[in-house]
Amino acid sequence: MTLAAIDWQFIWDNAPDLADGLVRTLKVSAIAIVGSLVVGAVLGAARAHRIPVASQLAAVYVEVIRNTPILVQIFFVFYGLPQVGVRFSPFTTAWLAVLIWGGAFNTENFRAGFEAVPRRYREAAAALGFGRLQTFVNVTLPIGGRIALPSSINTYISVLKNTSLLTAVGYAELTNVSRSIAAVTFRDAEMLLVVAATYLVLVWTLSAMIRVVEGRLRLPEEA
Amino acid sequence: MTIPDWVQPVAEYILREGLPNTLRLAAFAVAGSTAIGIVLGTLLTVRFWPLRAAIRLYVEVWRGLPIIVTIFLIFFALPGLVDIRLGPFSAAGIGLTLWGSAQVAEATRGAVESIPREQHEAAGALGFGWVGRHRFVILPQALRRLLPPLVSLLVNVIQNTTIASVIGVAEVLEAGNRQFERLTFTEFESHAFEIFAFVMVIFFVISFPLTRLAAYLEKRLV
Repeated sequence: MTLAAIDWQFIWDNAPDLADGLVRTLKVSAIAIVGSLVVGAVLGAARAHRIPVASQLAAVYVEVIRNTPILVQIFFVFYGLPQVGVRFSPFTTAWLAVLIWGGAFNTENFRAGFEAVPRRYREAAAALGFGRLQTFVNVTLPIGGRIALPSSINTYISVLKNTSLLTAVGYAELTNVSRSIAAVTFRDAEMLLVVAATYLVLVWTLSAMIRVVEGRLRLPEEA
Repeated sequence: MTIPDWVQPVAEYILREGLPNTLRLAAFAVAGSTAIGIVLGTLLTVRFWPLRAAIRLYVEVWRGLPIIVTIFLIFFALPGLVDIRLGPFSAAGIGLTLWGSAQVAEATRGAVESIPREQHEAAGALGFGWVGRHRFVILPQALRRLLPPLVSLLVNVIQNTTIASVIGVAEVLEAGNRQFERLTFTEFESHAFEIFAFVMVIFFVISFPLTRLAAYLEKRLV
């Protein structure tokens, strides 16, 4: 079989199932991305401002997640946690597993972003009578968040790609659905080419969006 | 406190069977990624645009695809498409290399472009052609800047070798998996928590010093 011999009708016939898988991929990704944005901003702030206890706990969380493979983390959440009585639905387990990973990487992105905000801005805010929290919300967060934006969007793209690993624990996202169809029809090439093309479209669209957003939100100083 | 009976065979299988496979796979992928990535990355700086465009496509495709999909493509789709059949180890090794070489190419391009123009011109004035200029003047300098990303790549490759478990390569995660399944069926207790925690510890012990080294090199060399 060559590329020309691809059975388009077969792909079309299975499109509804693949679409279901794609929707699950997008849902899990969306929740995990929003979650890792929140986790990253909060823990990144705790790290950058060296808030006692929270900062140290966040550091341990970041190091453990960054130095262990995400696939092992997924197995741990799916099979390890239920053994000690922590049980969720498959959907919750799925987004939780990829969120934990994204949150750790985003904590680092935001920590670096917040620490890159010049000290004089915070001093200016203090001079204007802003408290610590007000300074953070009005000065450090908008400026540091923009500095952290490119690296954090890269993390979100990785989160989307990482959802494909959920196929290893049998969660029926896009990759898993395609494997299930191939398992009974032996049309591996058709299924995998469709899935590969879909991921490339998603990832390339997101990367193109980064460039647009980056241009819009660029800090005036850098221009 | 005594160690339960099930622990020793599990730990032994993961360390004796799994760990060597993980390290072999990582060594294969890192060697391949570095060699291919440095050549492609250097070629990304040439003026001949069709070549640049072709390499750019290679980089964007293998960076854009999830590694698990790349490995599936090689292992399950290639036999049907071009009648190439690879074993699980080769398929996983090549999949990781495609991804890794794309990463190295991008890093190399940045490192080569960071070398001042005058270095190219001076080497040219001394009579070096394109190959000699890069081989003896540009790349040795670019390599310094490339070292921190290469160490990070090593960490990422080691972690991503776990993806080979999906096509049955008996690396550390798959070894843990087999033990988890065996215990579930024979002793009706999975011990998944302890087994996967142990697998995480193994990777942490390998990765943590390397990420520290990468951070240190970043500070020292750049």
